[in-house]
Amino acid sequence: MIEAKHLFKRYGDHVALQDLNLKIEEGEIMALLGQNGAGKTTTINCFMGFVEPSSGEASIAGLSVSSHPEETKKLLAYIPETVMLYPNLSGIENLAFFSALAGLQYKDAELRAYLSKSGLQEVAHSQRVGGYSKGMRQKVGIAIAVAKKAKALFLDEPTSGLDPKASNEFSTILKELSVQGTAILMATHDIFRAKEVAHKIGIMRDGQLVTVLEANDISANELESLYLKSI
Amino acid sequence: MYYLKFGLENQVPNLAGLAIGQRDVYPGVQSLTIRNLEEQRYTIDLVNPLFQLLGTMDFSFVLIYLFPLVIISFGFNLISEEKESGTWSLVRSQSTSALLFLKYKLGIRLLSILVTLLCLLAIGKVYLAIPLDRHFLTFVLVSILYVLFWFVLTWWVVSFNWSSSQNAQTLLSLWVFLLLIIPAAVASLQRIWFPIPEALTAVMENREGYHSQWDLPKGPTLDKFYQKYPQYASFTHPEDKDFSWLWYYAMQQQGDEQAAPQVKAMQSKLAERQKFAEQTAWFLPSLHAQMTLSMLSLSDLQNYLNYLAAMEEFHEQLKGYFLPKVFDGTPVANEKWEAFQLEKFHDKPSKSIIEIFAPLVIVILCLLLWATFNYKKIGLNKN
Repeated sequence: MIEAKHLFKRYGDHVALQDLNLKIEEGEIMALLGQNGAGKTTTINCFMGFVEPSSGEASIAGLSVSSHPEETKKLLAYIPETVMLYPNLSGIENLAFFSALAGLQYKDAELRAYLSKSGLQEVAHSQRVGGYSKGMRQKVGIAIAVAKKAKALFLDEPTSGLDPKASNEFSTILKELSVQGTAILMATHDIFRAKEVAHKIGIMRDGQLVTVLEANDISANELESLYLKSI
Repeated sequence: MYYLKFGLENQVPNLAGLAIGQRDVYPGVQSLTIRNLEEQRYTIDLVNPLFQLLGTMDFSFVLIYLFPLVIISFGFNLISEEKESGTWSLVRSQSTSALLFLKYKLGIRLLSILVTLLCLLAIGKVYLAIPLDRHFLTFVLVSILYVLFWFVLTWWVVSFNWSSSQNAQTLLSLWVFLLLIIPAAVASLQRIWFPIPEALTAVMENREGYHSQWDLPKGPTLDKFYQKYPQYASFTHPEDKDFSWLWYYAMQQQGDEQAAPQVKAMQSKLAERQKFAEQTAWFLPSLHAQMTLSMLSLSDLQNYLNYLAAMEEFHEQLKGYFLPKVFDGTPVANEKWEAFQLEKFHDKPSKSIIEIFAPLVIVILCLLLWATFNYKKIGLNKN
């Protein structure tokens, strides 16, 4: 579903991505670990079409992101590190707006169902987003992604700044999406969360994917020491 | 006939209520006697120069100066507000075309401005009883194109993907440049390149040409008059008299004759000033729109020049009618004075459709092309 083939991204003399290859099947979750500047966000940006690869190909469901931007955009959803929404709109209005951007029209009850499923309390649905905490905004972000019924989901450090409870709820939702067949690529610094939810774990350094592990084959402590050695 | 005045009105179309142009500077009606023309042609009431300095607040002022400010405030942060508030990445990931999203955003703002513009024009049309003719429709189209120009200019500045403050500074600088600095520079260049000292010398020559005749022999004055108007050769000055109306009007004629080269030079320089402004306006949409609206409402300099020419013709007609009667002493009571009403000068806008629309359309298309190239460069043409 999500595939990168010999992906390079250069900014002048700086090489942000170097011959990156990865493949994530339907229902699979892959976590990318690495220091700041290792190339995790650039990898996600290549799949999102936010940056154009210098060479190589990023594809979703067999379609190249560069040559089929509109088609691939319909297949994917994205949750950034900090979900920022329109502060003067309520949670439900933000969800309706971003769904409409994706060409999806939902009834009020359906929108509320998506928000509830994402863990946002009902009382907050109609409140202005300006008063939301980061965790609440992340939940609306999840609702936006879920409502899009995307086949590929990209997450850029989604649990950063969330409290443990919210992080845990977030992991549960990701697992549910995975069961439903969504392929998920998640960039994170949270080794233990990665171990908990991901099927595959990739470690990046200087724009290269240096190690790919099966999450079941390694303990959290082993992963941590391997990560520290790798960087 | 020495005192009797006949009026010629430079008819004001109702459309001029929307674009007053130079109507507040030049006279709309002039009363003439059959004495020398040049002394009367520029005799107008003085308007307080301070009021003239302030200018007039009409629709064209609102359109040319104030609408762009509203358009700038609507569009300067089209992308940057999304980026600065952090929603841009989510917008780009959700919409299949972020460029289309931006077009919708700007389109809604454009629609609201156009609705406001058309409402103002509709109110003006009803209130001023402006006929729904070709000129009014052209006026409306030029106004719409001018609004479009500012939206496209905003779209172009936004395409450089700068921050909100950079966009705002750039657009406001363009506003100052296009609406204040450039028109002031054009006006200064007009004065420098086409000075009109003849405006004063024409008056002086006219006075000199007329008054000097009092002390000169009457023969040469009459000869010049007969040369200009051979039809009056049958009328002669009584040799035993110091004064006759024939000699008096011949003397008046000399005032005009002597000032004629200066008058011609002055009118030609005014026409050159107008031509220079029109040529410059091809590259400056704000100036072009302003001049076109004045042209369509017959309140520009060209209209005044046409009026001056019509005044000359009107004066000649008056002289042609009354001078023979004055010379042969026809009794005043025989004249049907009630037949002499205020005459009207009807002018027409003089530019072709291409001259009116092309400068705005060309600039709009160029900016759109440039903006498209910029959006491609920042990767928004695809998504």
